[in-house]
Amino acid sequence: MPRVTILVNGQSRQVDVPADMPLLWVLRDRLGMTGTKFGCGMGVCGACTVHLDGEPFRSCQVPVGEIAGKRVTTIEGVQAEALRQAWLIEDVAQCGYCQPGQIMQAAGLLGRTPKPEEDEIDVAMNDNLCRCGTYLRIRAAIRRAAEKEGLHY
Amino acid sequence: MSALLPATRRDFLRITAISAGGLVLGIRCGRPGEAQGSQGGDFRPNAWIRVDPSGKVFLTVGKSEMGQGVRTSLPMILAEQLEVDVEQVELVQASPGPDFQDLGTFGSRSLRTMYLPLTTAAAAAREMLVAAAAAKWSVEPASCRAENGRVMHPVSQRSLSYGELASAAARLPVPSSPALKPKSQFRLVGKDRRRVDGPRIVAGEAVFAGDVRRPGMKFASVVRCPVTGGKPRSWDAEKAKAVAGVRLVAAISSGLAVVADDTWSAFQGREALEPTIVWDEGENAGVSSAEFLARLSSPNARTAGTLKRGGDVEAALRSSARSLEAEYVYPFQAHAPLEPMCALADVGAGRCEIWVGTQHPNRAQDEAAKTLQIPASAVTVHVTLLGGGFGRKSQPDFVLDAVEASRAAKAPVQVVWTRADDLRHDAYHSATLHRVRAGLDASGMPAAWKHTVVAASNRPASEPMNEEGLRAVLRGAYDVPYAIGAVEVSAAEASSPLRLGAWRGVQHNHNVFATECFFDELARAAGKDPLEYRIALLRKEASVPGGRDGAPVDRARLASALALAGEKARWSVALPKGRGRGVACASYDGRTPAAAIAEVTLDRGGWRVDRVVCAVDCGIAVNPMGIRAQTEGSVAWALSGLGTEITLKNGRVEQSSYSDFPILRFRDMPKVETHIVASEAAPSGMGEPPVPIALAAIVNALSAASGRRLRRVPVKPEDLKGA
Repeated sequence: MPRVTILVNGQSRQVDVPADMPLLWVLRDRLGMTGTKFGCGMGVCGACTVHLDGEPFRSCQVPVGEIAGKRVTTIEGVQAEALRQAWLIEDVAQCGYCQPGQIMQAAGLLGRTPKPEEDEIDVAMNDNLCRCGTYLRIRAAIRRAAEKEGLHY
Repeated sequence: MSALLPATRRDFLRITAISAGGLVLGIRCGRPGEAQGSQGGDFRPNAWIRVDPSGKVFLTVGKSEMGQGVRTSLPMILAEQLEVDVEQVELVQASPGPDFQDLGTFGSRSLRTMYLPLTTAAAAAREMLVAAAAAKWSVEPASCRAENGRVMHPVSQRSLSYGELASAAARLPVPSSPALKPKSQFRLVGKDRRRVDGPRIVAGEAVFAGDVRRPGMKFASVVRCPVTGGKPRSWDAEKAKAVAGVRLVAAISSGLAVVADDTWSAFQGREALEPTIVWDEGENAGVSSAEFLARLSSPNARTAGTLKRGGDVEAALRSSARSLEAEYVYPFQAHAPLEPMCALADVGAGRCEIWVGTQHPNRAQDEAAKTLQIPASAVTVHVTLLGGGFGRKSQPDFVLDAVEASRAAKAPVQVVWTRADDLRHDAYHSATLHRVRAGLDASGMPAAWKHTVVAASNRPASEPMNEEGLRAVLRGAYDVPYAIGAVEVSAAEASSPLRLGAWRGVQHNHNVFATECFFDELARAAGKDPLEYRIALLRKEASVPGGRDGAPVDRARLASALALAGEKARWSVALPKGRGRGVACASYDGRTPAAAIAEVTLDRGGWRVDRVVCAVDCGIAVNPMGIRAQTEGSVAWALSGLGTEITLKNGRVEQSSYSDFPILRFRDMPKVETHIVASEAAPSGMGEPPVPIALAAIVNALSAASGRRLRRVPVKPEDLKGA
């Protein structure tokens, strides 16, 4: 089995896995980093969202062999204090399962577009599903993080 | 020393002090039928309060957290009466066992069943701590007061912490009727409180079943027969074992488990195995949705029954000035929580340990014990957070997958369902067909109401339906809240080709849909305003038998909720063409009277919901922030259900992903306004009650906007055409 080297949250990690194993399962089952969630395995729900070089990707669709040299950022390592605080202030989470993916998606949006318009938020977040129905609060939290409203850090 | 206290008419409460470290009160709350066994020496608490000598307060309960906020609201209730800071309370998730029965989280029951017991027990503990301090200081208890985890004696300016008093308090009798702090003095209950699990969730540190790791564990995926009830006849395990990382293929009750070193390898092995399996598809082979609809039209004769109220419905129909009838249809639905079914089991000789996000730990324990033929006490169930439950995770099926796979692999095994497994092998919401008929008098008011519900069922066709079963099938139908001279509501069942189970809102979903939408038809046929029409029919003093356990529908509270929703939604202000408003109301099993008003817009053959205004009367609002969240979630659940359905072809569920089971997306979430009716009544549930009324209100709004009466779920674009 090939040895694959990946850069996760600033650390170089080596794993012996098939090159076609999706990054999601390398993180969860081989590196014990379980913050990134499995929701559908088809790239349609967004629960497994991580960043590759700062851009959101569905880690269930990314073969680990194809990310040599890219920076992987997960919920455990992402610098998103404004979003985290805004998420808490708006009391976004219900069950919480999709929220790491939601925060990673939102962090990608604010990384590119620090002050997004409503329709930019729509476009960025529309493919991240939440069965509990926390969408209104996700929107409010993104707005709050963008405006730095009531945040302290 | 213990006290037996009256809690509510139907429930009982018993509190006992237990000699252990600190002050420990065991609380037994439950139903009358359960009281007998525990009134003797066999006292089995199902909640515990412990004031530790360190001053820390532990609340041990068997309530699972699935997003409804129970881990936040229960400590609030305890802290309020005990006079401690809510952060001082640590909630401990109970495991089922001989000491801990009746764990379960369903039916929007947690606050309803636990508010009074917790309040009373916490007040008893506070009085015992005060009495212990008073004895120490040789003063009157009345001259002391409890505050912020301490007992103070203001006159002498002395104080002792709860931790210092806990052991002495434990030796005192439990007061039989402790003084409850009145609502006017509440500092926690009734105020917004954010979820206690929030920080762990946003850090990615919250632990769900799939996040549990054990030494030497394996991962498994189970292939089930695509047809419900089918079994594998033959297969080639070598194909799976040829995949790197795959260790074992084991035949288990539910199908074939592929056990591997990681989840991905298990999935790969399963894909290699699947084409080699020859299935015995069983009796559901070949069933299609069209055939099943025909079954609903000619239900089983024995599984049927009728509930009546008022006069003779046939006579009332005959003498009506006008009669209307209609058919409503509701589909099978899947739960589709974001976390697919997942459980980890470690089976050893004569023992088993399970880590799972379950709504029903006792059931998981019992079923695992039965499967392994060991005593239930040899099975330990650790309850993790649930990545969404919605009724699905009351089922033990995925737990047994892990138990059987672990037994076969002789190692801890985590079973992970795929999304396709989840959608194809759910315990679905029942599909139903409703025939409704009503007679209006000369003034347009209903004089007769006849509603027949035909539901898909797993009950054997030969088994007669008893009263309890009948009331369950007719929840939300027989308790039609309006003053109508003659009401007859009947149930019949058709054998289901799919396994069925509780789905958020349960029978209320389809029954309130048919009731409230047909009621809208009556109002419009009578030329009356649908909101005024409803309120007029609730202005009668008599209450209606509502809950399965006898809780009546309070017409006045329901009318108030309707009026409040109407005012907040500005019901009387007309909307422009292409937009529409709809209203619906109901009392969930006689509890939480609530009303919803939806506003929709039709555009380019499609539609969107702009806003849903809900007025809810859930008794004392323990955590208003949580109530708003539950209302938002309920609206999202209802709206999702207008776009999804589970269909069958050749005995197989056709849906396999969120692409063909399209739950609500970010962009389509409407504004939700929650208005909470001020109340002194004990809290009732909020997890489900807004779901059915939101659904019916949206359908009524779409009918109003389109001019086309919608009578089926899901709503399809062609249903709205011809506007």
